[in-house]
Amino acid sequence: MTKVFIYPTNSLILSDLIERFGHTPLAMMGQVHEKITTIGIDSPPLNITPEDPKHGLKYAAVEVPAGVRGRMALVGPLIDEAEAAIIVDDAAISFGCMGCARTNELTKFLARDKGIPVLELVYPYSDAEGKEFVYKISDFLKSLPKE
Amino acid sequence: MSKEEKYEQVKVALVSCGSEYAGIQSQLDSAAERVNAKLVYPEMDVSSLDTIEMEFGLQVASADLKLMMARAKAVVEGTAPVDGVFVTSCFRCAEAAIVRNEVRRYIHKNSDIPVISYSFTERTTAATLLTRMEALTTIARRKHLLAREVQTGLTAGIDSGSTTTKAAIMRDNKLIGEGWVPTINVIESARKAYDIALEQAGVKEEDVQALGTTGYGRFLIGEHFKAQLVQEEITVNSKGAVYLADKQKGPATVIDIGGMDNKAISVEDGIPGMFTMGGICAGASGRFLDMTAKRLGVEITELGKLAVKGMQDKVEMNSYCIVFGIQSLVNSLAQGSAAQDVAAAACHSVVEQIFEQQLQEIEVKEPLILVGGSSLIEGVPKALGDLLKINVIVPPHSQLIGAVGAALLASGYVEE
Amino acid sequence: MSAHEDGTITKLVVISSDSVLPIDAALEVYESEIEITIKETCFGTMVTGPEDAVNKVVEKVVALDKNHIFVKERGFPPGDDRRCRAGRGGGPRPGFHFLRNEIGMLPIIGKALDDYDNNVPLEKIVRPEKLKVSILKDIIESELTR
Repeated sequence: MTKVFIYPTNSLILSDLIERFGHTPLAMMGQVHEKITTIGIDSPPLNITPEDPKHGLKYAAVEVPAGVRGRMALVGPLIDEAEAAIIVDDAAISFGCMGCARTNELTKFLARDKGIPVLELVYPYSDAEGKEFVYKISDFLKSLPKE
Repeated sequence: MSKEEKYEQVKVALVSCGSEYAGIQSQLDSAAERVNAKLVYPEMDVSSLDTIEMEFGLQVASADLKLMMARAKAVVEGTAPVDGVFVTSCFRCAEAAIVRNEVRRYIHKNSDIPVISYSFTERTTAATLLTRMEALTTIARRKHLLAREVQTGLTAGIDSGSTTTKAAIMRDNKLIGEGWVPTINVIESARKAYDIALEQAGVKEEDVQALGTTGYGRFLIGEHFKAQLVQEEITVNSKGAVYLADKQKGPATVIDIGGMDNKAISVEDGIPGMFTMGGICAGASGRFLDMTAKRLGVEITELGKLAVKGMQDKVEMNSYCIVFGIQSLVNSLAQGSAAQDVAAAACHSVVEQIFEQQLQEIEVKEPLILVGGSSLIEGVPKALGDLLKINVIVPPHSQLIGAVGAALLASGYVEE
Repeated sequence: MSAHEDGTITKLVVISSDSVLPIDAALEVYESEIEITIKETCFGTMVTGPEDAVNKVVEKVVALDKNHIFVKERGFPPGDDRRCRAGRGGGPRPGFHFLRNEIGMLPIIGKALDDYDNNVPLEKIVRPEKLKVSILKDIIESELTR
């Protein structure tokens, strides 16, 4: 099983395909779950406290806005853990934890910079594109070590 | 805000691209809660996200900024009924700053809903947000309070500022006593200023029919002196300024250069509309002028007279940051610059900061009323007038603006 | 998905199937585990409970039409005050808009998975290239001389 970082970090499609092909998706949802179930922190809605943008300093300098560093505090550790990555680019539909273009630029850079296998694609909008999308992802996932 | 009054809850639309991720959401929520406001995400038509960029005319890389525009549209069109809008984004993000400003302008232009805009860091606290949230909700509630134009009975106002504490006693629409002391201990300084004003007015404290407090120390002194009205300085100063300048009807712009931060407020019929409060650095405030006076070895009251004689162009000075401002002050003196030129440059620099940081966020409509202690430093209104090419009004007792405004608004409680 | 410290998990099951209805999925869950709670939403079914139990039941649901039922983890359990629309007032959370878009693509993905299983070969997609300046020039000239 390979730990595969996904971008968009909250993607249903990518998360599903990775599990479908027997690997472990590294996704934002898991991070959010850990965050909101942390005992003793009460900072709704996401339990992100002013400490998080400070943890984000590991990934971006202090002149980078707090919202970027706060998001990086969630995303960064996933990239640290990643053994492979699938990046699907479509800025137009990325909202929420994917809603900040500066964070996304840094996220993709860090994933590419890590030296792990990375598959880059765009979202499909036709049957033919969908087929290519799924086939490429399947082939990529099959090429990753299962054990 | 009066303690006796129970305000109905107001709904404030939170239009933001990342407050949840910056760790300040709980600060926003708690500031809102203190003024009985509820922050809501405006309900909107999801399909508008696909078209909002071209509709609004602004294309962006960050999808959450589209969300900000779509939410603003929902607010303007009434899809999401709210009483006020808080537009906020990360400090130092250029893309969001463009959207934040345009969204604020768009709401202001297309609706009567009060809106404020603010850029935050992870260090932004509820205390910083409170004054803004309080002013926003006061305007949203359009209280009877704001309609008052004449002071009645015997009332008092205390303005507990970061640098000085001011007190005013008024009777039948006339200022009859005033006190102005440096703020050291909040309550003691307020006591002192109040006593001076009472003595000058020749009245006893127990005869005062209503008291209003404002400024940073408003809650503390409000409780201590059992004030009928405890109100933030945006609302109070707007009222005080148009009252003292006798410009209660129609538009006006109020600029208040305080000891720690500045306020620029656009006012219509005495009711504040758009406003900004500076808060990142004191380099653009009265504090910088105070330090300049000390360094030049003159009293703060003499700085203005000196400045009027000087030529600001002879000295390069930038007080964007108070530390760098002092540095250029020291450098220019070391290079043999004349004291009057340095004084003029300091006044000009403060005004320039106000122009760059604050006047861009509001619509400057004449008359322009300059208030606060710094308005008494003649070089400051002169520099502001020169920069904006308009006549700057400094009303009588302009340093007492908050205290007079509080006394005026407090008279709303006399009849009760 | 990695195991969580608190041992619970919430999964969102989205059905994009011609043969399985959300109610079928719900019944499957109801019949299986008592420790599991489910909530049906306009986009799918949220299943919450102990990790193993949730995974087991989700696997069963997916098996109903494996290429047309999709699953992802969800950070918040259903109805969490911090995220629930009712609690915080107003419109949907930002993540909703992204989900809406992805769900719109599921029929394409499902069809592609069927093709993949059936070893349907991939045709090459020809994507138009950027017009050469010389061609554009010819077009302009021919338009102008008309």
